[in-house]
Amino acid sequence: MRKLFELVPLEVRVLYRQFLLRVIDLEALSIEADIPRFLGQFAGVLIMLSIIHAVRICLFFGAEPWQTEQHLIATMMLIAGLIIVVSWDATFPDRRDVMVLSPLPIAPHTILIAKVGTSCAILGLAILALNCFSGLVCPLFLGAQHGTIFGLLQPLAAYWFTMVAAVAFLYCSVLTLQGFTALLLTRRLFLRLSAVLQLTAFGLFLGVYFMQGMIANSAAMAAPENRAILDWSPSFWFFALFNQLNGSLPAELAWLARRAWIGLGIVIFGAAASLLLCYMRTMKKTVEEPDLVPGAHGLHLTPRFGSLLQTAIVLFSFRSLTRSRQHRVIFAFYLAVVFALGISLLRDEMPAHAPIPVSPDLLISTLMMMSFAVFGLRSVIQLPISLTANWVLRTTQLSSPVKYIDATRRSLLVLSVVPAWVVSVFLSIPFRPLGYVAAHLAVLALYGWVLAELGLIGFYKVPFTCSYLPGKSNIQYVFWGVLVVLLVVVTAIAELEQRAFGDPIRLSSLLLGFAALAVGLLAFNRRQAKSAVLNFEELPEELITTLGLISPLPEKINTSSSAS
Amino acid sequence: MLELRRVTKTFSGIPAVDDVSFCARPGEVTGYLGPNGSGKSTTMKMITGLIEITQGHILFEGKLIQDDLIAFRRRMGYVPEEPYLYNHLSGAEYLEMVSQLRNLPQRESAERIDGLLRLLSLYDDRHASISGYSKGMRQKVLIAAALLHNPELILLDEPFSGLDVGSALVLRSLIQELASRGKVVVFSSHELDTVERVCTRVVILHRGKLVADDSIVRLRSLMELPTLEAIFSQLAVEQDTDSMARQIADLIHA
Repeated sequence: MRKLFELVPLEVRVLYRQFLLRVIDLEALSIEADIPRFLGQFAGVLIMLSIIHAVRICLFFGAEPWQTEQHLIATMMLIAGLIIVVSWDATFPDRRDVMVLSPLPIAPHTILIAKVGTSCAILGLAILALNCFSGLVCPLFLGAQHGTIFGLLQPLAAYWFTMVAAVAFLYCSVLTLQGFTALLLTRRLFLRLSAVLQLTAFGLFLGVYFMQGMIANSAAMAAPENRAILDWSPSFWFFALFNQLNGSLPAELAWLARRAWIGLGIVIFGAAASLLLCYMRTMKKTVEEPDLVPGAHGLHLTPRFGSLLQTAIVLFSFRSLTRSRQHRVIFAFYLAVVFALGISLLRDEMPAHAPIPVSPDLLISTLMMMSFAVFGLRSVIQLPISLTANWVLRTTQLSSPVKYIDATRRSLLVLSVVPAWVVSVFLSIPFRPLGYVAAHLAVLALYGWVLAELGLIGFYKVPFTCSYLPGKSNIQYVFWGVLVVLLVVVTAIAELEQRAFGDPIRLSSLLLGFAALAVGLLAFNRRQAKSAVLNFEELPEELITTLGLISPLPEKINTSSSAS
Repeated sequence: MLELRRVTKTFSGIPAVDDVSFCARPGEVTGYLGPNGSGKSTTMKMITGLIEITQGHILFEGKLIQDDLIAFRRRMGYVPEEPYLYNHLSGAEYLEMVSQLRNLPQRESAERIDGLLRLLSLYDDRHASISGYSKGMRQKVLIAAALLHNPELILLDEPFSGLDVGSALVLRSLIQELASRGKVVVFSSHELDTVERVCTRVVILHRGKLVADDSIVRLRSLMELPTLEAIFSQLAVEQDTDSMARQIADLIHA
């Protein structure tokens, strides 16, 4: 493998390494950042998902083979789609690349090859990690029916080819769209539209995944009511392609596999053409036309959010969240889950015309929405926006850390708890009795406050200012751990609420319990913040800890040593 | 008065600033000079509290700044060496944020921001993102942010960087005007001609050590040299500049 890599021209290898390191914004990282460790943790989350998929195959493949295959392909496409969205502009040279590389004797196609190579490496890693178990178990189940070596190898090859083709289809589709948009528009307009396209693609990938059902058999697939979804959903095309390669596709569905081949051909050609044209024509545009989007000359309101310090921090957080693409995309992931939960609630409960009784669906959905909104914002605010500009916050720190933590709390409440609560109010309108709805909304508000306080434990930072240390949070454990705990807690709260409805004493106890918890956590956080120092640099935890066996030095010695 | 007493800063045991002492008085402009890497910006950062002092003391109005850093910060304005700003904010938003962080009364600060933006020719671009500002425009935002709260101590680290001729002339006069109104002004620059015109006294640093601290007039007469550039060359430039230029040309020619 190493020797193969050495066959690649040196300049491509050098650029490839540089671009690969920039998968994460290096300017946002702590000086102690370990990128390979972070990528390993990311792969760990996908490997865990692969294990879950493998278990699911073992349990359900016999009963629901088609749904399982569709689910695997749809999940692969979703994960690839999310990676493509997060690294949206990675294949195109940005202003920095052009300014640094243009004066050097490097041909545009060298940069192109290195950029495409980097994106393919990341997507390849995702394909491998997500299918390392399921990609063996699923073909094994299919091949076992044949009982020959070829019978085992055919589904294995079909599976991996389908996954690679499905990811290539998404990647090339996005490249085609971006390439031609960059060619046709001025750079300023392209940048403005590109941000919209990125969020649209994000919503599309998530929306399709959550909204699209699975189809159980060939008869259901041939049904006229499913025709529209099959026409427009690439995951079904690649499902058909998989079965065609595996030799198990019914003849009446051959048109679906044909769609996959044609689609793949079109987008590969489109991506190649747009990339080549783009690299030849837009490199100059990138230098000549500034990256900034023209300033808005509309209304410039500066609402108050408490004290001047709180207003400054909340507005800074809001502006960072809405104007930084990186932060917006990550937060959008959580918001998309909120959106999906809201949509599924509307879809399942709203068709009824009469008032709907308050159900566990409403309680769990809105509690989950609140959780994802708070966790989402809490995750995003720990990523900095511009470390080099933080000096201004440090030289203007005229208040104690407690005041800054209060301002961070205000940001969490204003930007996550309040919007999630308002959305829940709108979703709750058709539910009855109103007393129950009001009680649930009160519980929800207090729950949001408790989550915000939990998020502030040990968080002595101004949002978007502290350097990021990837790997410190061990996402491969935290992600799954939080998901499981959240499900248990939310279900328990919903049950408690249901029991309390109609019982004023129980309801009051529940509300008082939440209020006491929130106030207790608030007092705890404020007390801790009193002795805290605002943190602008995330550092790894010390490996050596003191045992506290030596008594402190006498005061006299301390004084003399400091004097000397 | 700002006073540095035997201030030392070491990084991994290597001194960046070594036993430096000097005073900057109200009504005076103190030039802080030295070649690249001599410790000028490190000193500035120690005065602002951005980095900690290894040894020594910094006093303002006779009080140790570390004793009440918050009170000191209220009275200090700082223009850093590099124009690092939050690029996603507009010029007006940035200044508004700084005024809020400094807890300035809203109406008063709005008037000041408006006035500063107009006087510094940034008003038309006040709602544009800072990412699109030129280096000079960024420098003007930094200068406005440093003066917004009418500080008593003004620290200017390379304040002329990126400014056009007109703006540089305005800043030069502004520095003198501020000093004449009783402010303590410390400013570092490589533009010796400007320093000579603006500063009443200079402090010269070489390899982290203080090599001169006096008025320019006295330094000229003491060293019997005609210009500040000649004084600086003798005190802080070790190489024979002509010979070094020849060596570089020879090296790339070989």
